[in-house]
Amino acid sequence: MNPRLLLALFIVPLGLIIAAVPQDTTHPYKLDASQMLIEATASSQFLSPDAVADMLVQKDPNLQLIDVRTPDEFLKFSLPGAINIPLPDLLSEEFKDILDQDIKMNVLYSNGTLHANEAWMIATQLGYKNNYVLQGGLNFWAETIMNPTSPSSTSPDEELAKYDFRKGASMALGGGVADSPVAAGAEGNVPAKPIVKKAAKKKVQGGC
Amino acid sequence: MVKKEQTSKTAGYINPYLGGVLLGLVLLAAFFVSGRGLGASGAIKSTIVATVDAVAPAHTEKTKFYQEEAASHGEKPMKSWLVFEMMGVIVGGFLSGALAGRLKLKVEHSPKITSRRRLAFALAGGILFGFGSQLGRGCTSGSALTGMGVMSMGGFITMAAIFGTAFAMAYFFRKNWI
Amino acid sequence: MGPLVSYDHISADTNLLLAFIIGIGFGFVLESSGFSSSRKLAGVFYGYDTVVLKVFFTAAITAMLGLLFFSLFGWIDLDMVYVNPTYLYSAIGGGVIMGIGFIMGGYCPGTSFCGASIGKIDAFVFIGGLFLGVLIFAEGYPLWEEFFKAKFLGDPKISSALGLSDGIFAFGVILVALGMFWVGEWAEKKFPQPEY
Repeated sequence: MNPRLLLALFIVPLGLIIAAVPQDTTHPYKLDASQMLIEATASSQFLSPDAVADMLVQKDPNLQLIDVRTPDEFLKFSLPGAINIPLPDLLSEEFKDILDQDIKMNVLYSNGTLHANEAWMIATQLGYKNNYVLQGGLNFWAETIMNPTSPSSTSPDEELAKYDFRKGASMALGGGVADSPVAAGAEGNVPAKPIVKKAAKKKVQGGC
Repeated sequence: MVKKEQTSKTAGYINPYLGGVLLGLVLLAAFFVSGRGLGASGAIKSTIVATVDAVAPAHTEKTKFYQEEAASHGEKPMKSWLVFEMMGVIVGGFLSGALAGRLKLKVEHSPKITSRRRLAFALAGGILFGFGSQLGRGCTSGSALTGMGVMSMGGFITMAAIFGTAFAMAYFFRKNWI
Repeated sequence: MGPLVSYDHISADTNLLLAFIIGIGFGFVLESSGFSSSRKLAGVFYGYDTVVLKVFFTAAITAMLGLLFFSLFGWIDLDMVYVNPTYLYSAIGGGVIMGIGFIMGGYCPGTSFCGASIGKIDAFVFIGGLFLGVLIFAEGYPLWEEFFKAKFLGDPKISSALGLSDGIFAFGVILVALGMFWVGEWAEKKFPQPEY
């Protein structure tokens, strides 16, 4: 058989297949399981309510709050300036530009941490950067910022200062919400500092 | 005589389409291992940079090209991917030539021209190719072939410029070849 | 997932060892396809031997398809694969100079090393010329630096510049290449040259 026709016999069908399949859909995840595990165990995605409240009060332009609850819940109550990306719509094309960018600092929140963390996991696996999770979610937010419990007079100065800040922030942000979510148990009160990790992979240098 | 020549044409070399597929697989292996394609002129550049630096270190200190090279490719020019790859090419070419019985010291030229003329043109062509490969950021392997593999716009442009110019100039140098 | 070196699956030294092995494959395929002969290489420009055209374009479409399928299967991260940057003027200017060098010298850098490895003296001379040419470029660099860096377009893919998906563009290249192979085989019959 003519070698040229033999080549065509193989390469034309392969070309047709590659022309027909959509690009880059079968391997959307940029991080493999072990890299993801490192990201997840580092817990560096959590931002404390105090840190977020501080940015809100300062009107930090880099802050972008993202509410991953349902639109109904979002309408009832949301943090100032937040936008609503319901978890089921996370992969929708219209929100891609918001989630996949490296200018703003996206803070995801839900009632607890569960849904926000789910959204963070997916976004991080897709290789999106600058996504964080509000620690403790709205429940913890309500507990600490909206209705801070006054420390006893014997508390250290630090505690008193924190309380003052929280009260101030609560006032500035219009605190004391009627239907604030049910308070969850105090999980992890230690504010985790966000650590922005450098990607391990590196682009090779070319040149002939 | 003619008959014998006809058979020798097909006996020694593998089918070009098979060769192309194999070459494509080698290129793919290079992408898979190192994320970059094949190349040749880069190894020559590394050698030049290393040699000039060894012979006249004071000269490289004050010459812009070598400074830019050191900045972008590091202090050890010979420890580069392309240098090792080109050493492999020499070994691979030798192995293939030895297996097919093509090892022979000779100047290959058309019967219509002398060896001296062939060598003079080879030298001139080499100088132009060496210069052009630096200007074009890669030769036929590094820029045109590899660039086409990754669908680089520059790769396609360089490929078209190389083959287009060679076709356009073929008439003027026809005596050397046919 | 590849590229192996970008994902730290292999060390930098292993990468160099693999470079040597890949080079052996490169040299072996070039030589056994006939790329160690300048008269065979130059044949494509006169139509008597189009082995360059066939090998070159078959290799390009094989690698192109391979990369796209590897990416499809998640074996390679195309974002990590080096895409040659495009500097419009020097890409054309360099290509034109290389084209003249090609038709005069009968080799390109890779094939000249191949020819030299089996004892072609003209290939040795060509390599000497290459070194001189690179040296001239390096020494006179300030003279052409501006041209060298002019019209930088980033590292665009030709497929996205044309607004096509990679797959459809690759399929187009395949069809064009097969068409050229057909023309090449026709030319070999039309302009025969005695074997050398």
